[in-house]
Amino acid sequence: MTADRLEQRVVISGVGQSAIGRQVDRSGFQLTLDAIGAAVTDAGLTMDDIDGLSMFPGGGTASLPGYASGNLYEVQDALRVTTTWRQGVVEGMSLPFYGAAMAVATGQARHAVVWRTVKEGSAARQAGGRPAYGSTKPAAEGPLAWLLPVGMLSPVVQVAPYAARYMHSYGVTRAQLAWIPVTQRAWAALNPDAVYTKPLSVPEYLAGRMISTPISLYDCDVPCDGSTALVVSAVETAADLRAPVRVAAVAGVVDGRPSWEQWQDMGRVGYATAAALWNRTSLRPRDVDVAQLYDGFTIEAVWWLEALGFCGTGEAGDFVAGGTRIGPGGSLPLNTWGGQLSGGRLHAAFGHTAEAVRQLRGEAGARQVPGASVAAVTNAGGYEAGAALLTAW
Amino acid sequence: MGGPLAGIPPAVTEETREFWAAAAEGRLVAERCAACGAESFPPRGACRACRGRQTASCPVTGAGVVYSLTVNYQRWLPGLAVPFCLVVVEFPRHPGVRVVGRLRGCAPEEAFIGMAVEVGFEPGPGGFAVPSFVAAT
Repeated sequence: MTADRLEQRVVISGVGQSAIGRQVDRSGFQLTLDAIGAAVTDAGLTMDDIDGLSMFPGGGTASLPGYASGNLYEVQDALRVTTTWRQGVVEGMSLPFYGAAMAVATGQARHAVVWRTVKEGSAARQAGGRPAYGSTKPAAEGPLAWLLPVGMLSPVVQVAPYAARYMHSYGVTRAQLAWIPVTQRAWAALNPDAVYTKPLSVPEYLAGRMISTPISLYDCDVPCDGSTALVVSAVETAADLRAPVRVAAVAGVVDGRPSWEQWQDMGRVGYATAAALWNRTSLRPRDVDVAQLYDGFTIEAVWWLEALGFCGTGEAGDFVAGGTRIGPGGSLPLNTWGGQLSGGRLHAAFGHTAEAVRQLRGEAGARQVPGASVAAVTNAGGYEAGAALLTAW
Repeated sequence: MGGPLAGIPPAVTEETREFWAAAAEGRLVAERCAACGAESFPPRGACRACRGRQTASCPVTGAGVVYSLTVNYQRWLPGLAVPFCLVVVEFPRHPGVRVVGRLRGCAPEEAFIGMAVEVGFEPGPGGFAVPSFVAAT
C-alpha cells in the first residue's frame, strides 16, 4: 500500500502505563521505566528493537511541581539501547507521537518510544493543594510575565475567561456542560485504572466548589502520578508487531496569537488544526466511532467537539445534554477512559492516545465501543493544538 | 486587604522594562510602530502589523471594555486574598492592545463582559505595580 501522507508510513504499535493514582510512591523515573517496558512488550517487540526516544517535556523544564520528570539520556542509559533519533519537546509537540511519527516516517528511527511521566498528584499533596503555576521559578518569564503578577496563577484561571466568553457568546450554561464531566465519570467507572470512579451527578457537579468562574472543581483534570509510553513503528514492520494501529492523519496548527490572554476569539479554539486535519484525509466527522478529546478542563473538550465539526459552533451544550450521545452506547463515545477529568491528568493527550489505541484494537474491556475502527485524538487547544485520526489495522 | 497583592513578580527584559517603569508611575503603555503606526501588546520590539523593528512606547488612554473575565476563589499562594476578579480588557481607541489585570471598584461578582473600565494599577508582588482596572462609574 502506498502512503500518500507521511504519517501513514507509521503505526502506533505499543501502549504501556505504570501504576496510576493520586499518589504512587515510586519515583517518576521508575514509573517511566515501568511504562516503557510495558509498551515495548505490548508492541510485540524487545528493548533491543528500540532506536528512537522522545519525551515530553524535555530538559526537565517545568512551571509546575511534579510536571516534568527525568532526563532522556538517563532513561536511555537505564534501557541500555542505542538510539539513532532522540527528542525532548516543550514547544511544538502538537500530539505525543507527532515528532516520533515524522522521525520514523523519514527513516531516522524504526521503533521509537515516546513517554510522559507526571508526579503532580504527589506534588499537590506536598504543597497542600494544587500549586500555583510558575511557583517553581522566582520570576514570571515570557508570556507568563503578564499573567502571574496580577494573580492569574494557574491554568485554571488562564482558561476560565475562555469558558466565560464561550458561555456568554452562545448562551451555554454550566448545567448543560455538566454532562461532560458527569458522563466521563460514568466511563471511568468502567476503567480499573481511572483515578475517580464514584458516580457523579449533575446536582453534585453544580454544587461543586468554584475555583475560578465558571470553572469548578469538577471541570478541572485530576493531578496524578503515572507514566504513559507509546511505541511508534514503521508500517513495514507490521508483521513483527502484535497489534498495530494506523495513523490516518495528524495536524497541529498554531495560528493567531500564541499566549492565553491574547487569543483573539476565546469562544472558538482549535479550528485551524481541525481544518488542517480534515484536509489530510477523506474521513469525515461522521466516520469517527470514538473520540478522545483533550480535557484539561471541560471547556477544552467543548472546543474540540465544535472545532472538529461533531456539532456546530455554540452547539456543544445541546450536543452533550443528557450524555446520550457521548456516553456508553452513544453515537460519539467521548473520553471512554474517563478522560483527564476522572482518569487522571496524564497530560498532553498521552492518556487519550493510549485509550484510542486500546479501543481500535478491541482491547478496552468493559468500556469497549463495539466495532470501533476510527478514533479522533486531540491535544491541548489554545495556543498549542494537535489532532489526529487513528484507524484500526 | 492592605499590603501588596500576592503573586509572582515579572522577569523584566529589554522589551518590557519601559512597561514596568511606566506602571510604577501609574501609566499604561503599549508600543507603537514608527513605520505603520500600529500598536502592539505585549511589547516585543517588533510590530505585529508590519513586522517593523522601530517601535516606541505609547500611552494607552481612554476607557477599556471587558472582553472576558473570571472570579478566582482558589488561594494559589499563601497570603493570596480571595475572591478577586481578573479582567481581560480591550481598548476601542487602541486596536491590537489587550491587557489582563485585577478589577476594583465593584464586587467581583458584579463584573460582566462588556463593562467599561478605567486604567489603574496597584502594588503587586516584588514591588511592581500591576494593572488593576477600575469599574467605570
